[in-house]
Amino acid sequence: MENYLVSSSPHITSPRTTRNIMLDVIIALVPCVIASVLIYGLYPLVSILLCVGSAVFAEWLFNLIRKKPQTVGDLSAVVTGVILGLNLPAVVPLFVPVIGAFFAIIIVKMLFGGIGKNFANPAITARIFLVLAWGGVMTSYVLPINLANGAGELVKYLSEAFNINLPAAITSATPLASVKAAIESGANPANGLSALNMFLGKIGGSAGEVSTLAVLIGGVYLAVRKVIDVKIPIIYIGTTAIFTAIFFANSGYVGEYVWTYMLGGGLVFGAVFMATDYATTPNTNLGRIIFACGCGFLTVIIRKFSTMPEGVSFAILLMNIVSPLIEKIIPKPYGHPKRSMMDYFAEKKAQKVAKGGSNV
Amino acid sequence: MAKTFKHGTHPPENKITENSPLVEFAVPEKLYISLSQHIGAPAQAIVEVGDSVKAGTLIGKAGGFVSANIFSSVSGKVTNIVTLPTATGGEAKHIEIQNDFRYETVSLPEITVPTKENILERVKEAGIVGMGGATFPTHVKLSPSKPVDTLIINGAECEPYITCDYRLMLEKTDEFIEGVKLLMTALSVEKAYIGIENNKKEAIELLAEKCPPKIEVVELKSKYPQGAEKQLIYSITRRVVPTGGLPMDVGVVVNNVHTAYSVARAIKGEPCYMRAMTVSGDGVEKIGNYFARTGLTYKFIYDECRGNVAEEVTCKVISGGPMMGFAQANLKPATTKGTSSLLFLSEIRISKSDTTACINCGRCGMGCPMNLLPNEIEENTLHRNFEEVIKLNVASCIECGVCTYNCPAKRPLLQAIRLAKRIIKEKGLK
Repeated sequence: MENYLVSSSPHITSPRTTRNIMLDVIIALVPCVIASVLIYGLYPLVSILLCVGSAVFAEWLFNLIRKKPQTVGDLSAVVTGVILGLNLPAVVPLFVPVIGAFFAIIIVKMLFGGIGKNFANPAITARIFLVLAWGGVMTSYVLPINLANGAGELVKYLSEAFNINLPAAITSATPLASVKAAIESGANPANGLSALNMFLGKIGGSAGEVSTLAVLIGGVYLAVRKVIDVKIPIIYIGTTAIFTAIFFANSGYVGEYVWTYMLGGGLVFGAVFMATDYATTPNTNLGRIIFACGCGFLTVIIRKFSTMPEGVSFAILLMNIVSPLIEKIIPKPYGHPKRSMMDYFAEKKAQKVAKGGSNV
Repeated sequence: MAKTFKHGTHPPENKITENSPLVEFAVPEKLYISLSQHIGAPAQAIVEVGDSVKAGTLIGKAGGFVSANIFSSVSGKVTNIVTLPTATGGEAKHIEIQNDFRYETVSLPEITVPTKENILERVKEAGIVGMGGATFPTHVKLSPSKPVDTLIINGAECEPYITCDYRLMLEKTDEFIEGVKLLMTALSVEKAYIGIENNKKEAIELLAEKCPPKIEVVELKSKYPQGAEKQLIYSITRRVVPTGGLPMDVGVVVNNVHTAYSVARAIKGEPCYMRAMTVSGDGVEKIGNYFARTGLTYKFIYDECRGNVAEEVTCKVISGGPMMGFAQANLKPATTKGTSSLLFLSEIRISKSDTTACINCGRCGMGCPMNLLPNEIEENTLHRNFEEVIKLNVASCIECGVCTYNCPAKRPLLQAIRLAKRIIKEKGLK
């Protein structure tokens, strides 16, 4: 038998596949899902499952109608679904996750060519769409449940499934909303906030982003499995801290602003799970550094100067949009002569002179 | 601290033959000795059908400066001159020799007082080429046109499966070190480094103990492609070979472990017609490291080594390593001076996954030892956008295969790069 397979080298490939990368991300999201159940009861789980189901169904349906090969097996729709679910307030009317997931998959992902081709993170874009469309429900956050009162607390919010206006008695302001108020009044932003509660997630907010601890557990898993480039979250969170310190330098409460900004809102969740999205972030070292710095800078700008208390999703979306431009910086191959900035300007000047332009 | 270069990857080592000592491989009745066992012009046959030859008889004369002499590897009669496929995908003239199983040898006179000139002359006469697999004639490498101050011996053996250089370093230590010294004399350099990956601790310890001070053993991190010339030079000396340049541009000449060993043998009088090679993979039973004569057909090696493993098991036959070697369509080619290994791999050992869409993860570029962006080169190649491909510095690619290995979407990145390089060359684009 001389019927051997012939192909060009290399003849082996790594065990890493798109599917097992996505599976790793799903595993990394599990602590956040567990945290959201412990903090808000079973309601977030229902909306996450609804997001996942709708996302997978949307992708399957799109491929079916467009007569494309099925791609749901790569699990990326599941990842989008879980991330979107964790980005929604803990209690939202049940049509919101369904519409959000369809928007994320059909409009943001599939219409642009499917996995790897979308210009913006589907979950973030869907979240922003939902905030703009249903501002009320997307900004009313429920109080954490108290498991000390018995397991009955877990089902406490299930009765609100179709309620567009949550009763004021069960809602709570997010820490960043009170920080926002402090910016205007000049009071201490940390008033009434506990760093420990914010780290564990016993605050009002989106289902998955509240528990920094759970996000970090997932982040460490992704870093160990080399799924994400740890540079991005570290630089993102770091630049957020630095710019917060700069912008609030004469507020009198620099330290308080820095820690509330680092623990509040979706910063850590966004930095670990959304700013590291492959398709929408640059894939060179320098590009990733620029991207992460830009995210940090924009987050602080939006949080301080805009009317919104939170800016992570807009910051990441804006940087997603510029990342094709960042990717225009082609890294220097090994062996190419190193050129300093001065050489570069000297060359540009010479070109200009050669073209007959004025000697600037 | 093990030295290393930037980027790269680490495929499973699979050095399953590392503890098999080198033994001489069986010899068939008929051998087919290629006249094109090296890079450059093929050798010219100087024997005719009916001539008697001995092991070590010159049968092909170098066809130019960049070419090498070819020797018979057994004693017997020339029975035919035929055109056969070669392992690298082309065709070449082969001299068919009927083995008389007497193994009479002829050798060149031994050189007792080696000098720069007579070593160079002997290397050329004995037909020594780069034995790591590239088969570039060694006498050309030893005549650099620029000043050279360092010799690097490549003992990285970063390809999975292959272990023949490791066994040579362990078992033929003295001759190998002698060869390194001879190469140093030939190049008139005062410093030599032997770079060995730290998965070969025994060889590192043994050589460090036996080498004189002017030969330094360097422990390298086990990482692919540690043995790629430019990466090896960087790991050991931190010198950067400029784009389009040669090692001699930074004052270095790189030679393989086996080349040094062959030089030592040649000085003793034995021309280059035998080499150490690894036969491995799960498609054969008798895996191991062998001294094989040139001219054994792959079919013969397979039949000798297969044992009780079913023929159907072997799905891919690779001459060389799994990262850069050549897949064989059939078993007609014969061993040459460059055959460092022959792998018989089953379906589960090789990549047969379906290609899916690029997810833009950047693992290709993050692994690229030349710091290129393989995914973008591939995309532009598929869109026939060759001007952009050139801007992405496709010419710098060393074709190590890290990008394709790393790709989770299993895209044929290196294959696209090769296509792009070829089209750019054919169209004369710049």
